[in-house]
Amino acid sequence: MTATQHSHDVHQYPAHFEPPHGSTWKLLFGPGLVRGAWMAAVGFVLGMLLVLVLRAWWSWDPAWNTEVILVVGGMVFAPLGFLAGIGSFDYWLYYISGRPTRPEDHSGHGAHSWKDYFRVNTDHKVIGIQYLVTTFVFFTVGGLMAMFFRAELAQPGLQFVDSQTFNGLVSVHATLMIFLFIIPAFAGLANFAVPLMLGAPDMAFPRLNALSFWLLPIAGIMFIASFLAPGGAFGAGWTGYAPLAEGQPLGQTFFNMGVQWAGASSIMTALNFLVTIITMRAPGMTFWRMPLLVWANFTTSLLVVIATPFIAGSQFFVMFDRIMHTSFFTPEGGGYVLGYQHIFWFYSHPAVYIMMLPGFGIVSEVISSMSRKPIFGYRLMALSLLGILVLGFSVWAHHMFVAGMADWLRVPMMITTLLIAIPTGIKVFSWVATLWRGRIHLTTPMLFALGFVTMFVIGGLSGIYLGSVPIDIAASDTYFIVAHIHYVLFGGSVFTIFAGVYYWFPKMTGRMYDERLGKWHFWLTFVSFNATFFPMHYIGLRGMPRRVFDYESAFGDMNFVISIASFVLGASFIVFVYNIVTSWVRGPIADANPWRARTLEWQVSSPPPIFNFDEIPQVVGGPYEYGVPGARHAVMNPAKEAQEVHA
Amino acid sequence: MRKGIVQLVAIGIVLGVLVTLVAVLFQWLPTSASKEFDRIQDIYWFATVISIVIFSLVGAVVVYSVWKWRVPLDDDLDGPPIHGHTGLEIAWTAVPAILVIALGIVSAVVLSENGQASSNALQVKAIGQQFAWRFEYPDYGDFQTGELVLPVDQQAQFTMEAVDVIHSFWVPNFGQKMDAVPGIETTILVTPDRTGAFAVVCTELCGLGHATMRAKARVVTQAEFDAWIAEQKA
Ligand code: HEM
Ligand SMILES: [Cu+2]
Ligand SMILES: [Cu+2]
Repeated sequence: MTATQHSHDVHQYPAHFEPPHGSTWKLLFGPGLVRGAWMAAVGFVLGMLLVLVLRAWWSWDPAWNTEVILVVGGMVFAPLGFLAGIGSFDYWLYYISGRPTRPEDHSGHGAHSWKDYFRVNTDHKVIGIQYLVTTFVFFTVGGLMAMFFRAELAQPGLQFVDSQTFNGLVSVHATLMIFLFIIPAFAGLANFAVPLMLGAPDMAFPRLNALSFWLLPIAGIMFIASFLAPGGAFGAGWTGYAPLAEGQPLGQTFFNMGVQWAGASSIMTALNFLVTIITMRAPGMTFWRMPLLVWANFTTSLLVVIATPFIAGSQFFVMFDRIMHTSFFTPEGGGYVLGYQHIFWFYSHPAVYIMMLPGFGIVSEVISSMSRKPIFGYRLMALSLLGILVLGFSVWAHHMFVAGMADWLRVPMMITTLLIAIPTGIKVFSWVATLWRGRIHLTTPMLFALGFVTMFVIGGLSGIYLGSVPIDIAASDTYFIVAHIHYVLFGGSVFTIFAGVYYWFPKMTGRMYDERLGKWHFWLTFVSFNATFFPMHYIGLRGMPRRVFDYESAFGDMNFVISIASFVLGASFIVFVYNIVTSWVRGPIADANPWRARTLEWQVSSPPPIFNFDEIPQVVGGPYEYGVPGARHAVMNPAKEAQEVHA
Repeated sequence: MRKGIVQLVAIGIVLGVLVTLVAVLFQWLPTSASKEFDRIQDIYWFATVISIVIFSLVGAVVVYSVWKWRVPLDDDLDGPPIHGHTGLEIAWTAVPAILVIALGIVSAVVLSENGQASSNALQVKAIGQQFAWRFEYPDYGDFQTGELVLPVDQQAQFTMEAVDVIHSFWVPNFGQKMDAVPGIETTILVTPDRTGAFAVVCTELCGLGHATMRAKARVVTQAEFDAWIAEQKA
């Protein structure tokens, strides 16, 4: 793996807080996964005792309540214990307790061996890779679940699973894909690229950055562990509508609480991006000189900090209804059922843009540098992001056109929904215009970017159908919706993630991926993706509802074809994994700037030096001035190659 | 350049024809059996025409550009520094704006037409309960049925109720759908205009038996309907 130069000796700390070296003592009590494991166990026991003692004290019978103990012990105290154990809070605790902190906290910077990826590390480049590897692991798990329920759906009737398992598979699949793959994978790519693009040495809050990463595995494990709960995994869909969710077995709590950890992670990262982008731009890097990926993450982060607290609230309320017998959403207690949907969608509609805008940014980078042309209409591209940001908060009820909400809300929300097509259209047309008369390098990231543009147009157009209330009334809650969300989230977001991973792979690893395998991956994915999801428009309109394990036999043939195509789609991912793994280990060494791109991350070595820039770059022009004679984005000393250091 | 434009347009037309074939050769929508769905299908075709044009346009430029301007990977020249074009940018802001606003207006009109309840509408109550539908006809007494029977060409006003969790009432051939929500009453109008047997489907995930929460709907002549009612009351 990669090793970067480091001038700071990681072992030079004041002795009184370093555990003795090389002993079992250090393994057990030094920050790391071992201490994380036992501190999680201790946390669980503490939480359990707290519940038991309080319940016994108030003479509540029985003192033992599995769900409460699970929430307090398993889902709050144990994760906190784990985080403390791996060392997320060490610095802060030393600081609070007045003990000497590490004088210059560059200790956690850089990765010198693969083991450093399993520790709390404050280097944004390491964290970016941690994010990406973790999210792809969850992508694999979520994908396998999809293979499983597509096998079930290949024929009408029940073949492999019972209906609770089916609902669990569908719900956990969607939840993992959204909260553990698309959102954090974008955060990972941005973590790696944004500080470099800004000319900054790191994110504004490196320790917070590390903490936000480590919240993710907690959320992911919680979602998956719900399968072990009595009664099975949560099965009310990723939307977890009340009151269904309130009557679900124990597994639902795993969703309510998992969302808190994933949400907290998103919010912390978003705050970090906002502060980084606002305060840590290199001299000369005005807003209008920022690459569009930075713009995209700026707007996404605004969406996240404003919207995410709402989903956190909605899930807390459901959990309170479940275990504390509040009545937020139960009509018997005076609650309002539709209130859940309003709060949920007030987050989850902006969330679809949280899942898309970073992809817009990636694609802008890729298309511009692979077409060797400035991005067409740079300012309008940035402004349209802001337009989507603002409009995105005024359309949530388009998910509720058939929910029975106030009638008068339908037409205004339809109008705002349709208006979002305008900034979205501007973006699509501008990417296409960037291609015009370019010198197009059809590399793998470019293939995925172009695949994205065409597939996203289909997804956006089906969105227009759904934006029209009367059509939505017919199409809502059917497979047409499933088709729409996969065109925007798979053909859209996932394609851009692939584009981004291929594009920055040489920068991250210092090695080049295999172009031939990359093309195979693209074409297999592109064809099987369409074969899987396009027919879903049809069966949906014709009468197949979503989230069903059984359906009319008339849809049998179509579903069989879809299932076969989905297996090919699943298999195409193997090509990607093989390519990435083998190239990472023994791919050819990559140049500092294999794409001859203009943005700052390409002006330093691959992988970049430990503090990114040996000298602070001075930004003097726009980021995409391809073909402009003599134009420069920044002046800086030539890239210093990172040296392999073998300690 | 003239030749280029011709080629581009040709690609666009080919794509447009292909997509149009996909749109018309398959019967994407179920046969309409209600006045409401007839109107919805009109907007559907309006949206489809817009979609075909936009998709062919974008597709054509992508295909043409890649075909015309693809260079070998080791090419090291840059393209012309075109930063934008105000006219084009105004055009592709304004034209989609006009299109979606037109779609919005048409949709709002249809929505309001589909929501016009006549005073002599047949009242039907649809009650969703895990995992079956029950129907009541309050105008005719207090019996309950598991089958939905409606007279043709007579507007029916459904009032939805849910006993436990949210369900959603949908007859694909009617094109109308509405959630049944615990604690509130929701309504929807259907004017069947074709006799036959159709499926009532629950489209809101409501628990373990959601997939099997289905019922039969029959649209019959007024005489048959009256006979059926008499039978139910007996
Ligand atoms: C022109 C742009 C778009 C429009 C007009 C649009 C419109 C809509 C509408 C009206 C619905 C509700 C359908 C229903 O449940 O009855 C919907 C659902 C959905 N859309 Fe979009 N959409 C657009 C783009 C996107 C994008 C960019 C994403 C994500 C990247 C997205 C993700 C989703 C998801 C996940 C759902 C389903 C949520 C669920 O019920 O599980 N959409 N869209
Ligand atoms: Cu939405
Ligand atoms: Cu149902």
